[in-house]
Amino acid sequence: MDRSYKELLKLSRFPHTWCPGCGIGAVLKNVAMVMKELGWNAQNTTVVSGIGCSGRMAGYMNLDAVHTPHGRAITAAEAIKTVRPDLNVLVLSGDGDLGAIGGNHLIHTSRRNANITVFCNDNEIYGLTGGQAGPTTPKGTKTITSPRGEHYQPLRFNRLLTTQAPYFYARTTVYHLNHFKTCIREALLYKGFSFVDIISDCIELNGRRLGFKTAHQMFKWFDQRFHIVEGVRDHLKDDELGIAKREAEAEVKAEEVSMGKVEVKHEDLKTFTREELKQFDGAEGRPLYIGYKGKVYDISTSPLFQGEKRMRCHIAGKDLTKDIDIAPHGEELIFKFPMVGRLKE
Amino acid sequence: MKQLVSGNDAIFQGAIRAGARYFAGYPITPSSEILQQASLYAEENPGFHFLQAEDEIAAAIATISASLAGVKSFTATSGPGFTLMQEALGWGHAVEAPCVIVNSMRVGPSTGMPTQPAQSDLFQIKGGSAGDYYPIAFYPNSVEECFRLIITAFNAAEESLSPVILLADAFLSHLNEMVDLDAIEMKVVTRTKEPLGKGHRLFTGTAHDRMGNVKTNDPVAYRDWLNDLKERHLKIADQYPLFEYIPQKGSDTLLIAFGITSRIISPLKERFSIFRPIRIYPVLEKELKDVAASYRHIIVVEGNDGQYASWVEGAIGRKVMRVACLGGGFKLQWIQSQIEERLKESR
Repeated sequence: MDRSYKELLKLSRFPHTWCPGCGIGAVLKNVAMVMKELGWNAQNTTVVSGIGCSGRMAGYMNLDAVHTPHGRAITAAEAIKTVRPDLNVLVLSGDGDLGAIGGNHLIHTSRRNANITVFCNDNEIYGLTGGQAGPTTPKGTKTITSPRGEHYQPLRFNRLLTTQAPYFYARTTVYHLNHFKTCIREALLYKGFSFVDIISDCIELNGRRLGFKTAHQMFKWFDQRFHIVEGVRDHLKDDELGIAKREAEAEVKAEEVSMGKVEVKHEDLKTFTREELKQFDGAEGRPLYIGYKGKVYDISTSPLFQGEKRMRCHIAGKDLTKDIDIAPHGEELIFKFPMVGRLKE
Repeated sequence: MKQLVSGNDAIFQGAIRAGARYFAGYPITPSSEILQQASLYAEENPGFHFLQAEDEIAAAIATISASLAGVKSFTATSGPGFTLMQEALGWGHAVEAPCVIVNSMRVGPSTGMPTQPAQSDLFQIKGGSAGDYYPIAFYPNSVEECFRLIITAFNAAEESLSPVILLADAFLSHLNEMVDLDAIEMKVVTRTKEPLGKGHRLFTGTAHDRMGNVKTNDPVAYRDWLNDLKERHLKIADQYPLFEYIPQKGSDTLLIAFGITSRIISPLKERFSIFRPIRIYPVLEKELKDVAASYRHIIVVEGNDGQYASWVEGAIGRKVMRVACLGGGFKLQWIQSQIEERLKESR
């Protein structure tokens, strides 16, 4: 077996600080192995870590490493990559660091699509401080700060990070080793902001309280909770392991949406027949609806139809698609009003 | 050629003269013009990088990280933003990253009075981050001095390997004066810190020894490291013992003022001696002691409730009188009446 990846580790600093059975060692080792394969070394790479057990990873990498205050690893990495595009910059940190105290930076650095790779050791707990509930702790889990079970839904990185393209989000576990290494490689080679959510175990400060005797039992639990999906997806479900990637946002200009040129999905919109539409004539406190190009718009708020000065009230409740030609204004005026339904032909 | 330049413009152009290549910031009155200038400069100069961050925490962290990566960097903010930067200020000292933080002060605490000048962030220079650190801070009182002192701040940062603070205030930031910036000649210290990608170093905020190895249970290693840091910072600070002293023969009263207050009280130099510290921190202990010895009354006039006065008392070992210009109220007439009142009380 090729052990040359060890030159990327500061073996003089070993034994490391992590508990036996901890998943962080696997993260460090596999990232180092893939880096070695790709030829990343002390001359072309910098690692950045935050705070926590996983934040100690940077200190064990045998290259220039930056260990930031709690939560700031991503920001530091972005700045380093900005001024030194020649360096490969990767972040090794944990879910509490990246998702809670660093959540704002995660949102905005991913929005700016900084060309960095983030490895998140996601063990669903604050380990270093003794096992407090973290942002990713599942609802109902007992920890030392949720003694009756965690009250809130966890933060789901997959949903947070795949809302706007371009994005690269991969979820894997420390147990599914081949898949894990594939995700690391894909993420490191991706140009742009890539995030690898590594489901990992904290046997000492989370697992034992949950009833697991060994780390291996936790790995088996990961195997039950998650399954691998093949190929690259747009999105990953909460129980799927794989890669979600999209290069660019579908180019839809905001003004086109508002001008009605782009079909916006309104599955939940009510359907009106022409007869039903006539009832909404604006009289006696009823709303004022009109039909236009198969859609129904609520024009009650129009100043032309307020109070005594009801101008051309006869148009209410009608389909005005053909009348637009004789109107003193264009159709853009109609699109300013809220769309409330579809017109049944 | 002489041109009308504002304090914020002079600060930005001084930073460029000093060789700054990175700016990260967040909009805040009254320092936003520096952010705006940086954004335009970055569009026109590909070698200059700009980040409008999501908050001041990120802005300060990015500034320090860019410095570690290998370029001169700076950020600009005001009181509430400087509060958010305290975390990074401590980290910058721990990882020994040279950079400059400009703090244009406004009335606090919290949001305070965003458009009114104050000088109330002095304790924030030194006391906002956890633990012991020895920052260097300068405070100009004119547009030309803004230009000169930001270059000095960059030089001191490179020499001391730490974040250096340039103070200003809302008044000074928006003060326009005729200056010929091109004619000003200043020494610029070049970068000495090795950029990232050159070795196997760890830049960490965790306690470490001189080699950068994490040492969280070793008081000796910690003391060695901190003493080194302190010695270096004080030594570099000593190279910039900047102050202005205008003695008035026959006066037994010394006024101490800095920044914009020193400009406002300058007509009083006919009656009183005036001492203006330019290096605000570390406090000019020796200079203050020497000057104060020959005066019976010492009055510190400042835009806060006695922050610098308490430092002066610590330095010279005797009580001083205070005139606190609070809430942005810097009126010469009022200050003068307050001085008379203090003198009457002490007689």
